[in-house]
Amino acid sequence: MLTISLGLVGFALDAAFHRSAEAGLQARMESLVYLVLAATEVDVDGSLVFDENPGDPRLGQPGSGVYASVSGDRDHWASDSSLGMSLPEAVQIQTGESEFLPAADETGSYYTFRYGVSWELPPDRLLPVTVTILVDPQELQPELRAFRKGLWQSLGLTGVILVLAQLILLALGLRPLQRITEDISGIESGKLNRLEGNFPKELEPLQRNLNHLLNTEQANQVRYRNALDSLAHSLKTPLSVIRSSLPSDGSAKTVAIENAVADMQRLIATRLQRAAASSRSANAPAMDVKTQLERLVLSLKRVYSQELINITVMIDTDLAFFGEQRDFLELAGNLLDNACKYGNGQVRLSAQTIDAGDPQAGIRLQVDDNGPGIAEDQREQLLQRGVRGDERVEGHGLGLAIVLEIVSAYHGDITIAKGDLGGACVSVTLRTR
Amino acid sequence: MRILLIEDDSDLQTSLAEVLRGAGYAVDVSGDGIEGLFYGQEYPLDLAIIDLGLPGLPGLDVIRKLREQERQFPILILTARADWQDKVEGLEAGADDYLTKPFHPEELKARVGALLRRSAGHAQPLIEHGPLKIDLVSQRIFNGEQEIDLTTYEYKVFEYLLMHPDAVVTKTVLSEHIYEEDADRDSNVIEVFVGRLRRKIDPEGLLNPIETLRGRGYRLNNPPPPT
Repeated sequence: MLTISLGLVGFALDAAFHRSAEAGLQARMESLVYLVLAATEVDVDGSLVFDENPGDPRLGQPGSGVYASVSGDRDHWASDSSLGMSLPEAVQIQTGESEFLPAADETGSYYTFRYGVSWELPPDRLLPVTVTILVDPQELQPELRAFRKGLWQSLGLTGVILVLAQLILLALGLRPLQRITEDISGIESGKLNRLEGNFPKELEPLQRNLNHLLNTEQANQVRYRNALDSLAHSLKTPLSVIRSSLPSDGSAKTVAIENAVADMQRLIATRLQRAAASSRSANAPAMDVKTQLERLVLSLKRVYSQELINITVMIDTDLAFFGEQRDFLELAGNLLDNACKYGNGQVRLSAQTIDAGDPQAGIRLQVDDNGPGIAEDQREQLLQRGVRGDERVEGHGLGLAIVLEIVSAYHGDITIAKGDLGGACVSVTLRTR
Repeated sequence: MRILLIEDDSDLQTSLAEVLRGAGYAVDVSGDGIEGLFYGQEYPLDLAIIDLGLPGLPGLDVIRKLREQERQFPILILTARADWQDKVEGLEAGADDYLTKPFHPEELKARVGALLRRSAGHAQPLIEHGPLKIDLVSQRIFNGEQEIDLTTYEYKVFEYLLMHPDAVVTKTVLSEHIYEEDADRDSNVIEVFVGRLRRKIDPEGLLNPIETLRGRGYRLNNPPPPT
C-alpha cells in the first residue's frame, strides 16, 4: 500500500517536473527565436541575410541538439548545427502565430517551436518568415535524470522511514492484544481467573465482555452443580430412611425394596457424576497431582487406620492435571478405596504425564494392590457395567461405575490387569486436550 | 458405649437411633449443628455420628470445633454428597470415617463398631482377654468353647470396661456411658450388673477380672499369663 502510494506520488511529481521542464524549454526556445531574428536582416529585394553567429554557440556546433531555421518565401536558412542532420521539413505558419510542439516518443522527433513574423518591405509589401527552433529531447535528459535521482532517493528514504514507523506503531498498538493473549493462556493454565490489569480504553469493552463471559460460565457451572447436588442430597436422605426402616427379615418384599433402593442409589451417583463430568469447563485450572493424592492417601489411612494399610506413592513433584479437581479426587479416591478394601494392606499408586512434550495432554494413573486380584472373565464385566465384583463390601461396583463415567468424560482408557504386587492393577488415562 | 447422633432429617434420625439402640448403644440425638456441638462438648461420649448438611452450624464446623476443644472420641460422617472432595475435607477436619447416604443400617453398625474398637486400640473384632473371647460384632462372649449368656446391660458394662483396660472406671462414668442423657440413673444398678457379670464370666472366682477399688470404681485387670 505504502509502496503503491509512494510510487504514484513519484510518478505525479515526475510528470509535473517534466511539464515544468518543458515549459522552461519553451521559454528558452522562444528567446532563441528572438536571438535568431536579431541576427537576421532582410534586403530591400526581400532576400534574407544572416549573421553567421547568432549569439548561441550551440547553433554553430553541428549535432549540438539545438537547431534553428528561418524560411521565407524564397530563402531558407539553417544554423550550422544542423549540418549533416536529417531534420524535419520546415513548415510555414501565419504571421503573429507561434506554436510549441513537444517531442513525440519515437526517435528522430524534436521539440519544435515555430514563430511566424513578417518583414515590412518597401513599397508596402510584407515578407512572411517562419523561425523554427528544434531541440533534441536529449537536451532535457540530464536535468530530468538529476531530478529523478533525487526524487526516488528521497521517496525511498521516506518509504523506509514510514515502514519502520509503521512497524513500531503496529508493535506498540498490538502490545495490549499480546497481553490479552498471554492472560487468556494464563486463564487456560489456571494461573488467572479473569483478565487483570489496565488495558487501553479501546480494549476495555473487550476485557469487560471476556470477563463477563468467564464469570457467567463459572456461575453457570456452580449453579448446575449446586442444583444437581441438592437434588441428590434431597433424594438420598429419604432413601436412607427407607433402608433403615426396612425390617431385616429377608422376606421377598424387603429384598425387592432393598434392590430398588440400591438401583436408585447407583443411578443417582452415576448420573450425578456424568453431569458433573460433562459440565467441566474447557479451561480448568492446573491441579497439583501429588498434593491432592497425598491428601487422599492421608484420608484413607485415617479411615483404614495407619497400621493396616501401606500406600506407596510414586509421583513426580510437579505433575499437574488440567481437569477438574473434583473429578480427579473422585477417580483416584474410588480406585484407592477399592484397593484398600480388596487388597491385603499393600497399595501402590503411581502417576505420570501421558505426553512428556505436552504437560497439558493428560495423565496416567495406576493403582496396584496385593489382594486376590480380579479374575480375567470378570474384568470385562466390571468395565462394562460397573457391576459389583464382590458383594461383601458395598460400593465396589458403584465406585467403578463412577470411575468409568469420569474416564469416558475425559476420553480416557481403563484397563484391569494383574499387577506386580500380586493383586489387581487398574490403569487409567485421562486426556485433557 | 454412648453415641451422639446429629442428623437433621427427623425420619432418618428416628430410624437410625432405633437401629443403634437395638445394637446396644446409648444414643443422644440432635437435629441441628449448634445443639449438637453443645452435646458433643458436654456429654461423656464414646462416638459421634454427624451429618454434614446441618442447619445452624455445618457438620464440618461442628467437627472442627470439637477437635479444637480436644474432644478425641471417634467421629463418623454421614453425607449425601458422595464426592471424595467432601469426604477428604471431612476427614481433614478431624472425622475418622464416613458413610455415604443411602447406607445400609448394618453398614452403619459395622462402622460404628469398628471405630469404637479402633479407638480402644483393637484392630480386629475378636478380642481375647485371658480365657475369654469376645466377638464385638455379634456381641457374644465365650469362655473357651462355652458361650456366656449376658443381658444387654451386662454386656454394655463389660464392653466399656474392655475398651478401657487398666483404667479405673467410676460408677458414674459407667452409667453415663451406658445410659442416654435423660435416662434414670441409679448407681446401685451398676453394682448389681458388675456383681452378675463377675459371677457369669468367672464362676469359680479364680480370675478376679473386675477389681473393685473402694470409693473409686472398677478396673478390668490384665488376665494372668496362661499356665
